[in-house]
Amino acid sequence: MITVERLRRSFGDLVAVDDVSFEVRDGEILGLLGPNGAGKTTTLCMISGVLKPDSGRVLVDGRDIWLEPTVVKRHLGVVPQEVAVYEDLTARDNLSFWGSLYGLSGSELKERVDEGLSRVGLADRAGDRVKSFSGGMKRRLNLCMGLLHRPRFLLLDEPTVGIDPQARLNILEVIRGVAAGGTTVLYTTHYMEEAQELCDRIAIIDHGRILTVGTLDELTRLAGEAEVLRLTGGFAGGEARDRLQAIAGVRVLQAGDGSAMLSVAAGGPGLLAVLPAVLASGLALDDVSIQRPNLQSVFISLTGRELRD
Amino acid sequence: MAAFQILRRDLLRYLRNPGRTALLFAIPLMMAAIFAVVFGGHGDGDGITIRVLLWDEDDSLLGRLLQGAGDRPESEGRLEVVPVGPEGVEMMNRGDASALVHLPKGFTRAVIDGTPTAIEVVKNPAQRFLPLVVEEGVVLGATVLSAGSRALRPELDVISSFLDADHRPEDAAVASLSASFNRRAKQFDLYLFPPVVRLEAVDVGAAKGEEASAKKPQGIAAVLSVFLPGFAILGVLFLAQSATRDMLHDRETGVVRQLLTAPVTPASYLVGKCLSVLVVSAAGLGLLVAAGVAAGVAWGPPLAVAAVVVAAAVAASGTLLLVMSVVGSERQGDALATIVIMSWCMLGGAFVPLAQMPAFLHPIARTTLVYWATSAFSSLIAGGGIADILPNLAVLAGGGALGIAIGAAVMGRRLARGAL
Repeated sequence: MITVERLRRSFGDLVAVDDVSFEVRDGEILGLLGPNGAGKTTTLCMISGVLKPDSGRVLVDGRDIWLEPTVVKRHLGVVPQEVAVYEDLTARDNLSFWGSLYGLSGSELKERVDEGLSRVGLADRAGDRVKSFSGGMKRRLNLCMGLLHRPRFLLLDEPTVGIDPQARLNILEVIRGVAAGGTTVLYTTHYMEEAQELCDRIAIIDHGRILTVGTLDELTRLAGEAEVLRLTGGFAGGEARDRLQAIAGVRVLQAGDGSAMLSVAAGGPGLLAVLPAVLASGLALDDVSIQRPNLQSVFISLTGRELRD
Repeated sequence: MAAFQILRRDLLRYLRNPGRTALLFAIPLMMAAIFAVVFGGHGDGDGITIRVLLWDEDDSLLGRLLQGAGDRPESEGRLEVVPVGPEGVEMMNRGDASALVHLPKGFTRAVIDGTPTAIEVVKNPAQRFLPLVVEEGVVLGATVLSAGSRALRPELDVISSFLDADHRPEDAAVASLSASFNRRAKQFDLYLFPPVVRLEAVDVGAAKGEEASAKKPQGIAAVLSVFLPGFAILGVLFLAQSATRDMLHDRETGVVRQLLTAPVTPASYLVGKCLSVLVVSAAGLGLLVAAGVAAGVAWGPPLAVAAVVVAAAVAASGTLLLVMSVVGSERQGDALATIVIMSWCMLGGAFVPLAQMPAFLHPIARTTLVYWATSAFSSLIAGGGIADILPNLAVLAGGGALGIAIGAAVMGRRLARGAL
């Protein structure tokens, strides 16, 4: 288990991570979801022992990573957001070097390298220099490096950013396979869909603080919404907020020029009662859609803005 | 252990990029070769040869002396005197020689009569130094002739009367002239011999024994012996720049960050990178020295040369590590390193021998590790031994080790702070 206790880190006046605590339980995939600049990478750097926190601590199986770094790091696999490979070396060279840092050598190292390359679909490019790889191939190689020594804990920092759908699917599939094998995974992302699809539990982070942690169901329940209405049309934000707030049984999640979201609380008058009132509100509506509560609505209910703002 | 894996990976990167690696080594070699060709004559192995065209319209004694000087064994390969006629002017226009010396008709008679005359020297404007050598030589000859014409005036007047007479001179007159010359010679002896000031031209290091002078390189190799030490140091500095820049590249591309997620401590990363810089620098300098050997440069005692190679590699590594530790990015590192390398090479005597630099620069030169490395090589080439370069080795190794220590400490502090 990874235990994160009250981590705090600032850069000058900017507090990047503020009193962050959570746990990653054995064998689960925990998603750390938040917009860009929320503090995900900084948190991951502190958990992986690269960046020293101003305060707080990280325990991996009860060992403090800053007190026993080399012992703990042997069990960690880290896949950073930036592709940190040597482009003038071949894929095999990169993996062999990386494996050697974990004490792998000889036939064992070769087997692991071959296995890793096959797993991420790069076996036929093993002898090619990385500079000839596409962005997606580099990311797959990066993932392979993090898995080479078969870590018990895998930390991934937005591994699918900027790659094609096929490479993304491959990476997600590999992560699922690794987790199914018992590896504990911490996965940071700003893609809500990925977090929903992949993660057992999700921690939502914004402005350096953890807002909530739980399963998808727990989070939506915590937010207290049953269903969400999304409205689009030719209205102004202020006007929409005023008129929608007047309707009983709804909560305005977001109101902007041309679009608004409102939730219908469970146990209230219900969607069928609210919908006519919305249509009769006088707003110039082009479209009204009903959506099940998801992380987007949870994030909006927690922060008052969309995840990608 | 991780440090050695990092070293191994860095060396593998040089092997995987043979073109880039070859270019790093080739640049200083090419520069030294260009200098050797430019300053070493025709590049055909004959060394520096002064080619002089002699247009002697008077068929004079001076002309014959000049031509004889070019025929002497010690002038072989250095001075070539080519007798020409009026076509010599056209040859000069084509740049066929360093200078044309023109002795006009009646030159000898004018010297004997003591009447004013002139030697004309036409210089090749495309050459800088060699025509000056000819000019100085002719000035010296003219001075001696003028002094002789005045000092031997009575005797020369007699000779002049012999030449004007329409009959052969009487035996008594010739005997008298001979006796007069003899007396003059004895008088000159009092003034000239033994000379109060004697010239002793000694090649640097010749006193170390005949073996050194016996192995003294000739031609292009001799010129390379002058230039290659400096350019080899330039080369090793550029190699060290390339290797240390890699650390900034690692930092900017996130490689350091990823490495530190593995069981690699900041200290072992820095040790690995420092080892890598040292090995690359030493190997590079060793190759440059070997290339010099192949070109005929006699570097000196192998053990002493190896010691300079290692010490210079330490110095280059320390210098560049220090430079790279104070900059914020790869681009800044490149800019600052280039400024440091070029200014150190200029001030330290890598391009121009220290003796030819203004006196006020000499103390400044000694503050550069380039000076200590270049002068160590030059000393060994001139026949010195390891005992002669111990101060150089101490300064290079000490200064380099200090640079490595400070540079690694600064970078280590950054890593520890998480400034990746």
